[in-house]
Amino acid sequence: MATQSNTPSANLTTESPQLSASEITQATGEDVQDAKASPTPSVFVNTEPMREDQVQNAVNFLSHPKVRGSPVIYRRSFLERKGLTKEEIDEAFRRVPDPPPTATSAPPDNINQGKISVLSGIFNSCTVNYGQLALTNALPQAPTKVLQPPAAASGAGAISTVGTARSRFHWYHTLLAVGVLAVSGAGTALLFKNALVPRLKSWIRKVVLEEDELAKKLNSKPSLTEETAAAAKAAAAAASDVAKASQEMVNSKNEEKMYFMEFMNMLDAQQREMKSLSNSIRKLEGQSKGLGRNSFVEQEDYRGAVYTSSKPVTNGKADFDVGPVRSSSSPASAEQPPHPKSYMEAIFSPTGKAPCGNIMAMVQRGERPPNIKDINDLPPNPNQPLSNPRMAPRAKPWETAPAQNMYGSDMKAQDTGVTYEMNGDNPAPWWQRKNVKITEIEQDETKSAPYSMPANDRPIQRTWVPPQPPPVAMPAAAAAIRQPKSSIQRDQLTDDQLLARASDGTDELQRITKISESGGSLEMNGGSSGQDSSEIQQERENGYEEH
Amino acid sequence: MPVFKTPFNGYAVKFSPFYESRLAVATSQNFGILGNGRLHILNLNPSGPISEFGFFETSDGIYDLTWSEDNDNIVIAAIADGSVKIYDLSLPPTQNPIRSLHEHSREVHSADYNPVRRDSFLTSSWDDTVKLWTIDRPTSVRTFKEHTYCVYSAAWNPRHADVFASASGDCTLRIWDVREPASTMIIPAHEFEILSCDWNKYDESCIVSASVDKSIRVWDVRNFRIPVAVLNGHGYAVRKVKCSPHRQNMIVSCSYDMTVCMWDYMVEDSLVTRYDHHTEFAVGVDMSVLVEGLMASTGWDELVYVWQHGMDPRAP
Repeated sequence: MATQSNTPSANLTTESPQLSASEITQATGEDVQDAKASPTPSVFVNTEPMREDQVQNAVNFLSHPKVRGSPVIYRRSFLERKGLTKEEIDEAFRRVPDPPPTATSAPPDNINQGKISVLSGIFNSCTVNYGQLALTNALPQAPTKVLQPPAAASGAGAISTVGTARSRFHWYHTLLAVGVLAVSGAGTALLFKNALVPRLKSWIRKVVLEEDELAKKLNSKPSLTEETAAAAKAAAAAASDVAKASQEMVNSKNEEKMYFMEFMNMLDAQQREMKSLSNSIRKLEGQSKGLGRNSFVEQEDYRGAVYTSSKPVTNGKADFDVGPVRSSSSPASAEQPPHPKSYMEAIFSPTGKAPCGNIMAMVQRGERPPNIKDINDLPPNPNQPLSNPRMAPRAKPWETAPAQNMYGSDMKAQDTGVTYEMNGDNPAPWWQRKNVKITEIEQDETKSAPYSMPANDRPIQRTWVPPQPPPVAMPAAAAAIRQPKSSIQRDQLTDDQLLARASDGTDELQRITKISESGGSLEMNGGSSGQDSSEIQQERENGYEEH
Repeated sequence: MPVFKTPFNGYAVKFSPFYESRLAVATSQNFGILGNGRLHILNLNPSGPISEFGFFETSDGIYDLTWSEDNDNIVIAAIADGSVKIYDLSLPPTQNPIRSLHEHSREVHSADYNPVRRDSFLTSSWDDTVKLWTIDRPTSVRTFKEHTYCVYSAAWNPRHADVFASASGDCTLRIWDVREPASTMIIPAHEFEILSCDWNKYDESCIVSASVDKSIRVWDVRNFRIPVAVLNGHGYAVRKVKCSPHRQNMIVSCSYDMTVCMWDYMVEDSLVTRYDHHTEFAVGVDMSVLVEGLMASTGWDELVYVWQHGMDPRAP
């Protein structure tokens, strides 16, 4: 059955792209040739044929026992993210045996249940005659889709039997309703007797008790104050104890320091004694023997002794120093802000770029930030009629021009914009002045460079005017100097970009240098556009002449 | 270039489709986490500074706004408490809002008005749904419920009256046709959440998506397996992307790296300009439909900048 329904759909999608968008699913394809067929194909519909390998992967995925336990909507979402089309996903679901009509392990979330029923509705509608859905020509909410096909089917059947069935149904229905009401009434009465009355009694008892307690409380209030005073005293005592303890710690630290210093002093003393000892030994030996090799050996020993005695000192100092350096380096590395996996993390992460960690901390503690006001933003009159528009809708720039036209479309739009502003406000408001210039420059550009004028050049023109070098005394030398530069430029550009761009770039450079060399007072950006165009054309001609 | 300081953190800015000198800014207190919101209506003056036409206060933050394409006085605000509020600028603030539509169960993250039919608008919410409304009805016309995570953005196609796209945290873009019961296309555009999408105004099958993975991808819906272009350059998640209403190949985007970037996706080296005028997350950006090259941006640094492309937004 599955393979049979596959092949006609595959044929349909490849043979008849003209059919309308209602042909999304590949269920019984014959009925799709109904009134819904629009003359032009919609580009917003997937017209790919089903990929069998993708469907197979999806079937394997769905057959996995762990996947079976997850809600349907997550399985669909996963497959969608993997790039499967709707048809492929539906086909996979159809192939996997025993697809759950509703969620097997339904999460308690109401929204998810809604989603699952939606998905099951979609799933069911895929297997039902799609043409009938189209015929009904309504835009119902998704859950009602499941009801519609059976309703339509029943409507297509014999109407008379339905009519009598309906009347019988009515009677039966009312009997049932009455019965249910009676039972519920009896049930509530029972509930009242069993639950409510004792509750009332206990409530009354509670009230009475409360009154007694209130009286007791009043009596015990002074004791409360005493207790609080005692607690405060205890807290103060504890604080003083803590202070004492910290004081003691500080003292002990000082003592330790002193001990350490004393130890150092003793070591120094020992060192000195050793020195003097060795000196005396040397003297003695020097007296007994002559000065010679031994002195060197002793000197080395002496040095070694010095080193060994000094080592622990330096090591101790070094350890002390390394400690704080290490600790200061770790926050520096931690300050590398983590790349937020989702933008929500940026708000909730305590470090890094998020400026609002403070707010989140307050929210988590349950506090309300102090600057929030209570505002009633409900409409004072929900039936307030809308005011009449004072202006007719304005045409969009892309509506006035044919599609895919990069530059020519601006002309009309710009004219309407400019003229409107001229009527109403001061001539040339700051945002219009620039606008006019841009279009005029680009008009010239369209004349000179018809296509693929890169946008990169525009900011060069607008924001940076190359400073004019002093007029050149020897234009020939300047030209000679210029030539190798232009060739280098050409090489660089062709390495990276298209040839067309490269030639344009070099022409521009030549143009710019030409203007500056001529020592003219004209700039690229400023001045009147009319002069610009003639200048540019002139320079171009000059440029071509030179070559 | 003029600057406007808002009391709260900026979330969205949109130019009016009727008046060149008018724009609206949606702001939320305490970065939109908890607090009030304010909708500012601003006017650009030819002499320089931005003046405030008025503002509306809401009890919860405002995440997005859209202007009506039919009535120059109507603004629709997407509120963080799940409601959608409609404001009429011809009425004083005491008579506003004129409607409060509360159907979403979670924050409404975006609103978009249909530029072709001019009678309906979409709202997308963190409750995974997109809702279709008309101005005259008190309840939604339709609810589109297929995404499995927050829907961050919904955008109408500028040439087809019934087609729109939605970008969601479930990492897919969905193309919908209002006449169809379910989505017509599912594009698994990124590996991470997609925060924004927009259609190309001049190429009806070209759509742009911006994601937490710091990239902007340009897609052709006729061949959606491979993106037409991938624009890298932002240092953090790209929060909003908009296609230029005047140039087919230009896209503007704003990001959590505090910059606003202008791209030309048809060119190898796509980044045209980078504006780093904000000192906090740049969250909202818009290009004017009526004035070519005019753009506005806002961010959590409580500033709204309006400038011409090519000029420094911070220049006086």
